[in-house]
Amino acid sequence: MTIKNALRDYGQRYRPRMACLRKAEKVLLEMQDPCAGVKSQPQRLVITIIPHAITGEDIIAWLADRFQIDPQEASSFGSMLVALGYIYPLQDHKRLVIKPDTSLYRFQTPYFWPTQQWPVEDTDYAIYLAKRNIRKKGILELHEQEQYNHLHKWMNHKWDFIVMQAKEQYRAAKERKKPDRVVFDCQERAYWVVHRPPVRKHSQKLPLNNFVEVFEHDLPRPWHSIFIGFKSKFELDYSKKSNFVWASFLSEPFTCRSKIVGENLAFWEGCEDLKWGTAVAMKEKAEQIYKTFLARGAPRWINIDGKTMEITVKGLKHPHRYVLDAAQTHIYMLMKKDSYGRYLKSPVFKETLKKAVNPEEHKFNEVQLEQNARNRRPSLSPIIIRQQEQEQRAKMAASAPVDITQVMSKLSKQGKEMGPRHSK
Amino acid sequence: MSRWRRSVDELTARRRRQHTECARAQNALSRVTSCFQQLVASLGSSADSSFLREEIDETRALAHRICSGLSDRLLRLLSACDSAPTAVEDRQASERLWVLFLSAVENFLSDLRKAKDLIGQFPLTQRSNRRSLVNTGCTDGLVGLAARVALVQIPWLVLEEEPSPDLTNHIAGLESLLSELQQRVPVAFWSVEATQPAWAEVLSDPEDPEDSLEDMMEVEMVSNGSSRKVSACCQGTCCGFSCVG
Repeated sequence: MTIKNALRDYGQRYRPRMACLRKAEKVLLEMQDPCAGVKSQPQRLVITIIPHAITGEDIIAWLADRFQIDPQEASSFGSMLVALGYIYPLQDHKRLVIKPDTSLYRFQTPYFWPTQQWPVEDTDYAIYLAKRNIRKKGILELHEQEQYNHLHKWMNHKWDFIVMQAKEQYRAAKERKKPDRVVFDCQERAYWVVHRPPVRKHSQKLPLNNFVEVFEHDLPRPWHSIFIGFKSKFELDYSKKSNFVWASFLSEPFTCRSKIVGENLAFWEGCEDLKWGTAVAMKEKAEQIYKTFLARGAPRWINIDGKTMEITVKGLKHPHRYVLDAAQTHIYMLMKKDSYGRYLKSPVFKETLKKAVNPEEHKFNEVQLEQNARNRRPSLSPIIIRQQEQEQRAKMAASAPVDITQVMSKLSKQGKEMGPRHSK
Repeated sequence: MSRWRRSVDELTARRRRQHTECARAQNALSRVTSCFQQLVASLGSSADSSFLREEIDETRALAHRICSGLSDRLLRLLSACDSAPTAVEDRQASERLWVLFLSAVENFLSDLRKAKDLIGQFPLTQRSNRRSLVNTGCTDGLVGLAARVALVQIPWLVLEEEPSPDLTNHIAGLESLLSELQQRVPVAFWSVEATQPAWAEVLSDPEDPEDSLEDMMEVEMVSNGSSRKVSACCQGTCCGFSCVG
């Protein structure tokens, strides 16, 4: 009965995230210990008192003590737990970070924990939006309204079920005691802030949804923003302080080393997508990856050795799911042994991590502000951008020749055209 | 009136009765599954207890009885539509019910799977297990919900009390039911349309004026002796976003 929406699935549910999520869960359970866990206090509301509230500074102190790390790292780690959805803020609930002060947080109930085997269903989101509609008399936020309309369109066949279920869930929740009802509503709201965040249009950090960050910098470069995924394969090692790495905020690469790391990670992501994605899109994806990363003069060329390159290109003539495995393994070993490790120790990375945790303000002068205002245009919704990309791809597929190298040269010419338009 | 005409009318009337019965059962199923979700949300938290788990089992059993009865009746309804001459609206109404039922079963199935995982992850067999339960702030997962479930009435007589399956078998049973139903009845589910337009549920007035989450989250701030209410969302500084709770 459910039409799976392939558009918005970034291949995330096929990612092997379970390993890192299980580690996070173990930490969470340790925090519950009545003796050695995080101190809790009651939250005083006008109507009632709710127990088990914890302060940001207590969380950071506990993490710093438990893992013998400095408060900065503990703060990043804590923010990661919040961004994943294991802990949620009670004040300022839309910003998924840990504040090192007396701001209050609470642990999320295991039903709403993020785990791989329970994909976040759009049906549930539709029911949640309908429930919010009933409660808030239709006053939803802009992104929620857009989502609602979109879901109403392509889930129209089960919309009666969605509304009926929303009403019943609303009534069932009212049966509970008031403090428990408040807690459940907070939990549910926090869950959807994590899994259906509003798409931000300006240069702000997104909550760490599915480990993807979008940064927008005003530096000269050929592309305007860059997606870099965090790869759970680079595991975090809790036991050693020096190896404690959680590169949750990888910024725009503006040095040689960070650029290399960026390309490698993007390539790795592409390979994973190919391995776990649908068979229909496979051939197209393989071509895309080749054009972007492997071909001579490709816009995001990665450095793999000659033998591996030869094998890969030969395999791409008849692409299958695992055609890029050799290249992917090579890149992984390279990163593990060399560039990624060096990158993490580099001052560049330390600087960006610091900036990510405490982003500094933009210091625009009057003229720049005016120019920004003039250039500011409402950006297209990602749904439309994706549709346009698909149309463009379809057009290219229709008009382009079959030979992969010819297609690639066409694209590189296009890339050169796009260059001057996007540099600031 | 000819005998043929009369029998057709009888058939139509019977079909309408069956349809109403199925619609009421669908409502009952929705009620039970929503209560089930509220109960399961407390699993693994400080509100978890053996009483909660017993109540979850009973709710599940009730849902199982409704599902099996409803699937039989819907199958009969749809095959009757096939054999006898039916009005287009009747056929469409039956197909609509069919799609709603399958959606409800899918939704319930996902909650069942979560429940199974959570019960496995947080066993309550020993007292020491309670130390690892998550302190969520919830104190009681049961109050009110058990009573709500008990009030649900199945619109048909359950003649034999067949034993309700355990959790694993229940999940397996529902999965096979879903695939079997989808194979046996060729209903084009995309042809079913919603009966109400978008945003219609906004106009449904609640039984009593409902507090918004912001109201309930108001914190009492004591300043200079007099206490005043402040929304917990933007305590002190404004977060900069239009706070829609």
